[in-house]
Amino acid sequence: MPQLEASPALDFQSEAYKDAYSRINAIVIEGELEANDNYKKLAEYLSEHKDELIKLARMENRHMKGFQACGKNLNVTPDMEFAKQFFAQLHDNFKQAWDEGKVVTCLLIQSLIIETFAIAAYNIYIPVADDFARKITEGVVKDEYMHLNFGEEWLKANFETAKAELEEANRQNLPLVWQMLNQVATDASVLGMEKDALVEDFMITYGEALGNIGFTSREVMRLSAQGLAMA
Amino acid sequence: MFGLIGHLTNLEHAQSVAQALGYPEYADQGLDFWCSAPPQIVDNIKVTSATGQVIEGRYVESCFLPEMLASRRIKAATRKILNAMAHAQKHGINITALGGFSSIIFENFKLDQIKRVRNLELDFSRFTTGNTHTAYVICRQVEQAAPNYGIDLSQATVAVCGATGDIGSAVCRWLGHHTGVKELLLVARNRERLDNLQTEIGMGKVMGLEDALPMADVVVWVASMPKGINIDQNTLKQPCLMVDGGYPKNLDSKFAYPGIHVLKGGIVEHSLDIDWRIMNIVAMDVPARQLFACFAESMLLEFEKWHTNFSWGRNQITLEKMEQIGAASVKHGFRPLLTT
Repeated sequence: MPQLEASPALDFQSEAYKDAYSRINAIVIEGELEANDNYKKLAEYLSEHKDELIKLARMENRHMKGFQACGKNLNVTPDMEFAKQFFAQLHDNFKQAWDEGKVVTCLLIQSLIIETFAIAAYNIYIPVADDFARKITEGVVKDEYMHLNFGEEWLKANFETAKAELEEANRQNLPLVWQMLNQVATDASVLGMEKDALVEDFMITYGEALGNIGFTSREVMRLSAQGLAMA
Repeated sequence: MFGLIGHLTNLEHAQSVAQALGYPEYADQGLDFWCSAPPQIVDNIKVTSATGQVIEGRYVESCFLPEMLASRRIKAATRKILNAMAHAQKHGINITALGGFSSIIFENFKLDQIKRVRNLELDFSRFTTGNTHTAYVICRQVEQAAPNYGIDLSQATVAVCGATGDIGSAVCRWLGHHTGVKELLLVARNRERLDNLQTEIGMGKVMGLEDALPMADVVVWVASMPKGINIDQNTLKQPCLMVDGGYPKNLDSKFAYPGIHVLKGGIVEHSLDIDWRIMNIVAMDVPARQLFACFAESMLLEFEKWHTNFSWGRNQITLEKMEQIGAASVKHGFRPLLTT
């Protein structure tokens, strides 16, 4: 039986670490910012959940500030230009769905895909984070499960009418996630985060969410692996 | 509800099973994909006891593959086991057996130190290695099969290869004290553990594999055979009973000689058909009735409502616990496999 090798210690102040961190940190900040905007938009549409959605939006704003502090703590300037580009396609898809009044697609993009992406990344990051960032990220990840739950509950309650649109939205948007993960795989590995662990965590949390909404195990396997082979 | 955490024997097997179960997304993928694949419940199982009691279970495919160990993707391997356990617990399964390599990985990489998996605190009392039942079944196989081949155990020398492991040490205790074999040969790599075992059971000779085999009327294998060792069949006793309790089971091809009888160790047969699909594809000779004893342990714990980690840790298996699980095994209609 082979032995588990201890991971090499990370040097949080090395140039290589800080360089990679400037992009990963920016993505996280941008992700929270996008989430803040998206929940504010959703609050306009889902007026009966307005107060709750505004609350979620505020939380995302708090998270963003927490992650900005993580960057400052390591003397890293986040590369926000890179992060904007990184989210551009998902951002455009959300905007287009919003313009067409497709609230199910909007919820899939924000409450399922972006939240799950964040949860997976934070879960894998926590064991390899610096002490300052670990504490902040641990607090954030608890909130993100709550946000995921909002989307799950709404989509579960509307499953019959939402199912076809969810499948279509999944087909359009999930392949983007795999591309996004590929794009940052090298930077993530400098931070001690492995791509296969990120993909696995994403598929588990996303699959659980789809199962809670009402998809069968077989549908979950198909939907959560969509586009992965091509990535 | 009981659970079984299983895995497939290699990548090729995994691909063919994914195809057979109708998951084309998984069927064409290489090892990288399986390193990222999440655990799945792929079968619902119904078991009827000889008493008439019926229980239900779930088969959790961990998506672990032995190639992950061979290619040193150890982190992926350990994640598979922990994620499968979390999956079982999230689905409310009361008692789940860690099958195949799962319990070996759990113990070897000390996964008991990792209690938190994402937003879930693992409750280890919901899991069992199944080793107590496996050890019991191997001992009963020795006791019941040896006379069939003209071996009188009271006059026999029994070599236990892998004697210091969890199952191996339990087998030594039982065969030494319960069965009363004439001589026990203790074979393992770690000398200190061997000496401790010998002191504990108060009998047995510590020996190297190549010296022990020619002396043995019965060989119990609970470790895989070391690579690079060639056994000259002419040096082995005839008859000789070999009980292959290791994983994977491959000794029958290595000892295909007349007078050498290889029995698949740690396998039970149920007296009634079990309603499941998964055993058709995990290479059992009689899929509706034969299964690993470790899996059967979780069924027994569910039948008896002993929702506890009955087999856990290393070298905790007492004769009393083997008798306890053995009595339940008989009561509910499980029999040690005796056909070679």
